[in-house]
Amino acid sequence: MMGSNGFRQFVAGAARIGVLLGFALLGAVPARAADVVNAYSIWPENWARPMFDEFEKATGIKVNFVRFSSGEALARVIAEKGNPRVDVLFGGPIETFAAGISEGVFESYKPPAYASLPPRFKHADGQWIAIADDPLVFMTNDKFLKENNLKPPASWNDLLNPAYKNMLQMADARTSGTAVTRIFSVLEVNGRDETKAFDYMKKLRPNVQLYTKSGGGGTLPVGLGQAGGGIFFIVDALDTKAKGYDVTISFPAEGIGTAAEGIALIKGAKNPELAKKLIDWATSPAMQNQFAKYKINFVPANPAVSIEPSLAAVLKGAKIFAIDADYAGANRKRIVDRWVAEVLNP
Amino acid sequence: MIRASGHRDPVVAVTALALWLLLALFVVYPLGMLFARMVVDQGGFNTAAITKILTDRHQIRAFWNSLLLATLVGVLGTAVGFLFAFTAARGRLPRLLLGIVDASVLLPLVSPPFTTAIAIIFSFGPRGLITYELLGMKGVTVYGLTSTFVSEALTYFPIAYLTLRPILAAIDSNIEGMAFSLGASRWRVFRTVTLPLATPGLANAFLLLFAASLADFATPLILAGNQFPVLPTQAYLQITGLFDLRGGAVLSFVLLVPALIVFVLQRYWVSRRFYVTITGKGAGETPFNSISPATRNVLLAVCAAIALVIVYFYALLLYASLVMALGANHTFTLQHYRVIFTEGAKAIRDTLIVAAFAMPLGGLYGVLLGYLVTKKAFIGRRSMELVSMVNYALPGTIVGIAYLIAFNDPPIELTGTALIIIACYVFRYGPTGIRATVALLQQIDKSLEEASQGMGAGSATTFRRITLPLILPAFFAGLGVVFIRSMTAISATIFLVSIGWTLITVKILDNITELSLGPAAAFSVLVVVIVFVVIATIGRLLRLFRAPGNVPMTSLLGG
Repeated sequence: MMGSNGFRQFVAGAARIGVLLGFALLGAVPARAADVVNAYSIWPENWARPMFDEFEKATGIKVNFVRFSSGEALARVIAEKGNPRVDVLFGGPIETFAAGISEGVFESYKPPAYASLPPRFKHADGQWIAIADDPLVFMTNDKFLKENNLKPPASWNDLLNPAYKNMLQMADARTSGTAVTRIFSVLEVNGRDETKAFDYMKKLRPNVQLYTKSGGGGTLPVGLGQAGGGIFFIVDALDTKAKGYDVTISFPAEGIGTAAEGIALIKGAKNPELAKKLIDWATSPAMQNQFAKYKINFVPANPAVSIEPSLAAVLKGAKIFAIDADYAGANRKRIVDRWVAEVLNP
Repeated sequence: MIRASGHRDPVVAVTALALWLLLALFVVYPLGMLFARMVVDQGGFNTAAITKILTDRHQIRAFWNSLLLATLVGVLGTAVGFLFAFTAARGRLPRLLLGIVDASVLLPLVSPPFTTAIAIIFSFGPRGLITYELLGMKGVTVYGLTSTFVSEALTYFPIAYLTLRPILAAIDSNIEGMAFSLGASRWRVFRTVTLPLATPGLANAFLLLFAASLADFATPLILAGNQFPVLPTQAYLQITGLFDLRGGAVLSFVLLVPALIVFVLQRYWVSRRFYVTITGKGAGETPFNSISPATRNVLLAVCAAIALVIVYFYALLLYASLVMALGANHTFTLQHYRVIFTEGAKAIRDTLIVAAFAMPLGGLYGVLLGYLVTKKAFIGRRSMELVSMVNYALPGTIVGIAYLIAFNDPPIELTGTALIIIACYVFRYGPTGIRATVALLQQIDKSLEEASQGMGAGSATTFRRITLPLILPAFFAGLGVVFIRSMTAISATIFLVSIGWTLITVKILDNITELSLGPAAAFSVLVVVIVFVVIATIGRLLRLFRAPGNVPMTSLLGG
């Protein structure tokens, strides 16, 4: 029996190492604190962390969180439906929350601020509540504009200029709420005439270098000049500017859409009372007054909070409209499918 | 007298049973749960959604694209890997040069996959450092098949190198020398002796690269653009974009088919050939010069050119980590490093703990399973080998989702623990060690072990002194790959990180999406440094324990 004794020794050694490692691992698991609420944050860490720190300062409740993109966060919440790991889904476009409702992953909750919010900032049953508003903008690279003798685009039709050929980046409607808001903006400025709207998008297609997976995916390429411009949410655009990239933000005269950012209580949450406190706080001026301090360029959703002056200056004169939630909700899937078939993969 | 071993050996039986249990728990069970989630809808059996997605012409196109991409990556990656391995094994390189080649080959392996992709955009995009700044080209398109496949080939060819290097090193150059002295030209020796002897290694390398490309979603996500959809990315988008878990699962299961076909073909092809070059008949002291000086120079030049491209990519990364904002503000700063060591400290700690556990477990698992399926006879041997490859062949996204679904609810609740991440790494990246072990063992002549016993050594001594040293290179290859992957993998673990355990790679992806290129680059540089330090340390240790008369191990991972 060649090698079987040696093999036996080898296996015994392997088993021993395995057991030792197992025990060491048990020892390495960190202890849990008492007053802790768990959250998936769709907002990037550099915005979510200061908000949660302020919440802990105000209430003594610690927020344990991980950051995911909206799609990943919702995919996890759905997968964990039977045994939820977090209590709150924090931030992210209402789009994401609407998709979650059909999966039955949220619990209705109406915080004190609910009554004072305009209808488009809350779900009728309190499945989600808005904590901020985020308009779309055009963002262009300064050097690109100068090289091509262009002015910052001031109309949707400006983007059809052949000078932009293969130089625009914007989000993919299959993965990004930014893209869906953009497509519904095009529909609105065309009086919801789908033929006209899709004609426009098909004409725009040759100018698009890449449809990115995430809404902000194109901001860095535009900042670096890999792309000449694109359509983004204002938070991402202002962030690009703040990082030091030479970009210009402009708005189309025909108007452009805006999308709310939400928060929701997870169904079956292990710490529902603490979670509700976080929702109460996030929907109130207590949190939204902090946006300016941390240079988070969202427009507050709570009417009691005023817009920070420099953000207000950027928005001044811009024609911004809300996307009709009922119309968008009823037509979203059909429009996105049509976009994929006719614009993305003609 | 030596019989076919293991037939009624209780140790073999128990080990096989234990491995089967582990495979059942961490490979079969999660996929089964995912499969159930896929076909069962609201309590009933439902395949309408599956049919719909499988007949979608875009998905069919994505399927063929995936196969095309994987084939191209497999061929080019294996060719480049062979080139490097052959140069390293036969090029009579000085130690220092060998070290440099090793280091540059390891670079792509030790950084998150999308690092190469982003460097390619930076260098060859419409405003690329090379295409625009250097060559003044305008309107360049970087997204598509070419850039995706070059990026993947550059990222994965080290796997081929690691697989082929020990095999080429183990081919006794006396055999080549004999052919030469019988009048064959060097080219003829290479074509009729060296290459056929390396065939199992080439097949293994191709398989590993094909599977790696088939499963990779990060590179196409960044580089494929909209004209060249591939299945892993489509599956990821289906899940995270359309919240269609079933659709994503269906697309991933489709990917399993070509992966398994290639595997079976390779097994059949390889097993028909019999290769033994490590024999008991001692090797000469003066090895045969397999390549002429001119060929050697050409090989060296090609390797140097490829290595230079890789080094350039990573120099760019280092630069990005040291300036305020790449492309906008090139003031020197250490701020990004301060950020990662304060805000990112937990991720760094968690990653190191996870990697420290996954590495030895993955290495042991690889050698144990590889040894068992090659040298021992037991029921279900072939299927064990097949099942062990499944998690490797599947796209990470789907393995991650399957783990998440299977281990979220009782009876086996692992979500939120480090164990789920460790298990994912062991069973997803351990197969590299299995392949390496199998490939090495296929080269070892039984007569070596028989000779040892014939000389009076006990079977324990034989295993320890002969077999174990011979498969040590495979063990360390497995160890290295699992550690490296533990530090760099993203596709599966993005679904497995939790509030308690997070990882550096997830932070890097986060930082990239948040436009913080600086911290992302700093994290990547840190990963590269950690991996190099650990690999070098293991290399030192290995040299200390090395018994005389082993297969030469010029470097740890190269064998």
